[in-house]
Amino acid sequence: MQNPYKPDLMEVIGVRQHTVDVKSVRLRFQDAERAKEFDFRVGQFGIFSAFGWGESTFNICSSSTWHDHIEFCFRKVGRVTDALWEAGEGDTLGFRGPYGNGYPMEQWRGKDLIFLGGGIAMPPIRCAIWYALENRADYGDITIVYGARAVGDLVYADELDQWAARPRVRVVRCVDPGGETPDWKGEIGFVPTVFERAQVAAGNAVALVIGPPIMIKNTIPVLERLGAKMSNVYTSLENRMKCGIGKCGRCNAGPVYVCKEGPVFTFENLRDMPMDY
Amino acid sequence: MSERISRDDLRKRAGEWIAAGKTVAGPVQVKPGMVLYAPLASPEALQLDGWIRPTNSIKEFVFPRHEALYAYRIDGAGITLDDLPAEMPEQIIIGAHPCDAAALPILDKLFNWDPRDDFFNRRREATTVITVACTAHDEQCFCTSVGLSPAAERGSDVLLVDAGDGDYEVRCLTEKGSALFGAAVDSVVHDDSSPAAAEIDAGPKRRFDPEAVAVFAKEHFEDPFWREHALGCVGCGACAYTCPVCHCFDIVDEGNPRGGERARNWDACQFALFTLHSSGHNPRPAQGARQRQRIYHKFFMYPEKFGETLCTGCGNCARNCPVGLGVLPLVSEICHAESV
Repeated sequence: MQNPYKPDLMEVIGVRQHTVDVKSVRLRFQDAERAKEFDFRVGQFGIFSAFGWGESTFNICSSSTWHDHIEFCFRKVGRVTDALWEAGEGDTLGFRGPYGNGYPMEQWRGKDLIFLGGGIAMPPIRCAIWYALENRADYGDITIVYGARAVGDLVYADELDQWAARPRVRVVRCVDPGGETPDWKGEIGFVPTVFERAQVAAGNAVALVIGPPIMIKNTIPVLERLGAKMSNVYTSLENRMKCGIGKCGRCNAGPVYVCKEGPVFTFENLRDMPMDY
Repeated sequence: MSERISRDDLRKRAGEWIAAGKTVAGPVQVKPGMVLYAPLASPEALQLDGWIRPTNSIKEFVFPRHEALYAYRIDGAGITLDDLPAEMPEQIIIGAHPCDAAALPILDKLFNWDPRDDFFNRRREATTVITVACTAHDEQCFCTSVGLSPAAERGSDVLLVDAGDGDYEVRCLTEKGSALFGAAVDSVVHDDSSPAAAEIDAGPKRRFDPEAVAVFAKEHFEDPFWREHALGCVGCGACAYTCPVCHCFDIVDEGNPRGGERARNWDACQFALFTLHSSGHNPRPAQGARQRQRIYHKFFMYPEKFGETLCTGCGNCARNCPVGLGVLPLVSEICHAESV
């Protein structure tokens, strides 16, 4: 009997702590054969588990061009993530996936890329950034605007510096007013306003916008003013999920199963969908 | 001419099936005023008459309220996963109503769109459903509004129709059904001239058009209707748990530090935590949105995805609701609102 709920066993081969409550974990398939055949698209997600505690849904935040491992990133907010927080090198975690549609990176070829993220939304953007950088010739100018409440809440801060050093990549960092430190060199303000001030040409761009609902709500009008087509503006929905395979009924947003038909949607798609996410 | 079987002989058959090691389930009076579909310890427990509908549905025989998916063992940093026994004993459900039996082919669609869920399928394949056509209905029944009827055959392997003198007319509808009764699959087209037809309930009058409900759910997503009509809802989930087709579930680990099982348990869209994000954001922050989801899923989303209304008109949601909500009360209000 095929058991779609049974996970792959993964060895933890690296852990990075990004903020006081955010870590990312690097995993390798225990089964070498499975590791060889495994493939995914950036933007897809997995269901990760700590045995004895349960499962949680996260984006696979590594690039699909890296073949020897996958990574996921999480904030410590509850029972399962408390257990994942304790995982160290050599420990075993569970992984089911990849699930969902992922970003249409092939369709994005020839376009400028604008990545707009807030807070813990960097991981699902990061996979696409690395993918684009590893296929650099396929894409135009890359702009990354990333904000968090405070300097200490920026995740993958070290990679922001690496990306900024690449040709034709512009990185704009911001923190909410009051979240800056004395030596903060980035912008102060919210992502939508900081992005508008950055005056990025969006006419030939694909934008990926992920963050809290209020950030998304205020960023969309800015993109429209800058000339972006809503069919070229993407997000990844974060509806709660349990099964990931269109059975458990939890991720329904209006008429769609986010786990199967999403989590990646354009704002043109979302305009036709009821606000159920 | 179909075979006939008396109630006594049906009980005798049930006893033989139990003796042969099969799980036999049917309506059982568990306390005054409450009948539940439950495994029969003996055929005498089978309660064939005197009720409109059991409080639960037969879905729990194909989709149990708790089901282990696999076991895990923890040994230091190492984990071992073990499959659980996949063999299913044959099970026979006697005395289902057409609104129970029809749920099974409706659920087949969900559990078999990619990927297949064989936890459901293996139970479904091991199950034979002997349905009894309804001889009465109550004010919550509305099968005729969702394309079914008191003698609808859908999902049944055998349909027993009261022949009026303590006997049932036996209509074997599938090979599985005829195997149990040793009779041929019934090829007779039954109409009103069938001798048993007189005993079949005329059924509740058709009360609404499911497509009108679908249109309302789709076009009035943000309507204050939902908030107003959900004010009484206490979010207990009884509607979903007693529904023959509600199928939402949670996945949890149950065990101790050395090991345990990962299991799925029934869940319900009426619970506040059902859609709560870890960020604190909740797409359905209040009961109105949750009641809307129940109607929207049953009458708009499921038909869109699977070509089936996710409702068999059994009326259990309203019968078991502590505050008088449920599909029929809500839908009646929708139709009322639409016609004003």
